[in-house]
Amino acid sequence: MVPLLYFQLLGAALFGIGLYGALARRSAVLIILSIELMLNAVNINLIAAASYLNGIGRFAAFDGQIIAIFVITVAAAEVGLAFAIILRMYRNRGTINVDEINILKW
Amino acid sequence: MPLAFLIPVFSFAACPLIILFQRWLPLRGAPLAILAIAGGFVVWILATVGFLAASADHPACDVSPITHALTCHFTTTWFDAGVPSEIITDSIHLNWGMLIDPLTIVLLGLITFVALGVQLYSLEYMKGDPRFGWYYAWQALFVAAMLTLALADNFLLLYIAWELVGLCSYLLIGFWFENPGPREAAKKAFVVTRIGDVGLLVGILLLWVNVGSFSMTEAFAAAASGQLSDGVITASAILLLLGAMGKSAQFPFHVWLPDAMEGPTPVSALIHAATMVIAGVYLVARAYPIFAASPEALMVVASIGLVTALGAATIALVSTDLKRILAYSTVSHLGLMMLSLGALGWTAAVFHLMAHGFAKALLFLGAGSVMHGVGAHGDVDIRRVGGLRRAMPLTAAAFSIGALSLGGIPILSGFWSKDEILLAVSHNLPVIFIVLTMLTVFLSALYMARAMFVVFFGTQGEDSHHAHESPILMTGVLSILAVLAIGFGWIAFNWPGAFDGFGTFVFYDHAEGFHFNVVLGVLSILLAVGAFALAWLVYVRRTLSIQSWRARFAPVLRVVENRYYVDETYQWVIDRVVLTVSAALAFFDRAVVNDVGINGPADVVRKAGIALRLHVTGHVYTYALVVALGVIALAIFWWLRSV
Amino acid sequence: MQLALFIIVAIFTIGGALGVVATRNVVHAALFLLLSLLGAAGAYLLLFAEFLALVQVLIYGGAVTIVVLFAVMLTRSSEYPRITDNRQWPLGLITALVLSSVLGAAFWLTPADADAERKAPVFTDLASSLFTKWALPFEIASLVLLVALIGAIIIARQQNVVVTDDTSPEGED
Repeated sequence: MVPLLYFQLLGAALFGIGLYGALARRSAVLIILSIELMLNAVNINLIAAASYLNGIGRFAAFDGQIIAIFVITVAAAEVGLAFAIILRMYRNRGTINVDEINILKW
Repeated sequence: MPLAFLIPVFSFAACPLIILFQRWLPLRGAPLAILAIAGGFVVWILATVGFLAASADHPACDVSPITHALTCHFTTTWFDAGVPSEIITDSIHLNWGMLIDPLTIVLLGLITFVALGVQLYSLEYMKGDPRFGWYYAWQALFVAAMLTLALADNFLLLYIAWELVGLCSYLLIGFWFENPGPREAAKKAFVVTRIGDVGLLVGILLLWVNVGSFSMTEAFAAAASGQLSDGVITASAILLLLGAMGKSAQFPFHVWLPDAMEGPTPVSALIHAATMVIAGVYLVARAYPIFAASPEALMVVASIGLVTALGAATIALVSTDLKRILAYSTVSHLGLMMLSLGALGWTAAVFHLMAHGFAKALLFLGAGSVMHGVGAHGDVDIRRVGGLRRAMPLTAAAFSIGALSLGGIPILSGFWSKDEILLAVSHNLPVIFIVLTMLTVFLSALYMARAMFVVFFGTQGEDSHHAHESPILMTGVLSILAVLAIGFGWIAFNWPGAFDGFGTFVFYDHAEGFHFNVVLGVLSILLAVGAFALAWLVYVRRTLSIQSWRARFAPVLRVVENRYYVDETYQWVIDRVVLTVSAALAFFDRAVVNDVGINGPADVVRKAGIALRLHVTGHVYTYALVVALGVIALAIFWWLRSV
Repeated sequence: MQLALFIIVAIFTIGGALGVVATRNVVHAALFLLLSLLGAAGAYLLLFAEFLALVQVLIYGGAVTIVVLFAVMLTRSSEYPRITDNRQWPLGLITALVLSSVLGAAFWLTPADADAERKAPVFTDLASSLFTKWALPFEIASLVLLVALIGAIIIARQQNVVVTDDTSPEGED
């Protein structure tokens, strides 16, 4: 019997790694991948909570799982849009390195 | 009579209408201005009839306890300022109001009449000017402001009108602002009168502080009843006088008036005869209860008047420009009016104001006619024109009548008014004043004779070959004014059954009939006629030469010809004192106010901005980092709350 | 037994994630991501969420990874840059560590009152719940997908196409 805490800590670690990737990588593609990691960390957390806190409080059974389904849905949409934007960026500016793109200022 | 406020309102309305619609109006809207002032004139006639018929039992009228003249008072609240509190016991009531008494009536008549004449005359004189419409717009505003000034029943309204008059004089003197001369003259007029205006404003505020109201009636009552201390009365009288000196071109503020002729000549006529300069005399006459309560103030008024009258008369005698002679003549006669006011000759001063107004309007319009006929725009050097009598007979006759009237030749208006002044001066002032006044009278006749003889009689000058008579509109106005210059003086007398005489209508304190002192009268007749005869011998017959005199008095002449170096003194003061102080102030302004006070905060902000914008790298990941930091903060916050 | 399985799953997940953020090769990163996501799917199985595990494998393992690889191909970022991290990576590292610690500490110090006996959930319950209680969000989610689809097409399309007489649009992707 694995305690809930273990899954939560797994989610926290995964989220931290994803955050580091999103903040530190140069390539826009890698940043998107890191964001996917973060979303998965959240999903693990949600499903673990749904599984362990079944019917406790205001949450019915499966509610966590259903929210996770929506997260996956939105993540899929996000990936599609994000890569379209990256494609556009590559065409317009010839690079997908975010540190070469600094027009988002004054 | 309650509708007398319409007199200025017509012209006030005409001004913006002309400005806005001049492009579509016939003659650029000039008829609008003329109609407005003509309407004002008609209303004035009606108001005068109403006033003459009114008596003390008219609801708005009563006999003033101070001037003992019938005074009608119409007022309406404008607004109340301030809420009564422990400090301010009452809110400040500001009113629109008219004070109609004989002085107002005669002044309104002078202004509307002369303005009407001037505006008709200008139709010809200003014909073809590119800013014809603007000219009439400013004319209308000028007249409206002056009429308001004459009607005002409180000092605040008077001050507003006073400043409007100043503004319009600036606009009209500088009407041909393309040329440097009018530009400078307009600036000079504005700045010099402004010095006096400051005095007026301070005086008004001083009265307000002590009386608690802007109302003239209340101020005069306070002054007459001894409610105000002598110091306050004298101080406010002197301060009001300062304003009057600026507007009425009294020494040492007279310098702007001779330059003011740079404007169109009809404007000069208006300024010299019916508006602007008489505002100062009117102010002293209107505020006379305050002056009368302070002998010192009256003495100052008389002295300044005498100095101005004598000094300006001598300058007029040696000037060679026709309009400049007339300008200094105006200064001199304004000095005489002030002198008369200072000598308790209130009626004489107002009478002279009227007589001089008509005569001077006539002279200036005549001079304008000469310029029009000769084709000069600007200066008419009297040494270069001459013998215009043949080419311009009507103008010559009209101008001569004006000159003779102002010179004090008997039975013309100027003679009677001047005699009244002499009488007042001899009665109420030290003997030195009457002697110098007599000298002024002589000089006055002499320079008028000189101008008249040199320009219209004598030999033909080089500029006068192509001279031609002016159009009928101009000469017509001249003729009407000439009739008034001849006949106006006769209303001084008691005409049994018709009119009791000017002195019984316009008076201060007590009605007076016309007095004629035989000694003074004969003396003044002799002086005036003698002066004209002398000028005739010198300039027409040329049997007397003035060359030896010129040589003998060369140093004096030089001083006078340089106008007593008043302008130079001003220049010196401006160069040495004003500009030095200004430079110091400018340095302070630049170094302290600008660099530290204004650029300082801006600098701090700019440098802070430079430092702060470093965090705005433009990179997405930097912003994401900040978002992450925010997430951490929120996480800690929520966690702590849930614990 | 379960704990051993959990440790294997966790190693897969964390290891794959570290591979994603550490590798220099973008294609490798995509494959590491796949590894990590499959690990996560294993975690779902351990939590009795078979449906989610299936969806995870299908969508991430199939669609997302393929899309990533297409993106990598189209943007030709296959030349491996020598520097893979931007200049603020130390700050990012610190931030990530702090956030992980905060989250971990929060989980650790405020334990949830977990259900002692975990029932094996019935899959049909999930389905009926999705189409009754969550029907509206479900439909909205489909709308979101549609909009994202159209948006992606519009953004990625070649826009400066000049349609002249009969020449076909140039450079269509």
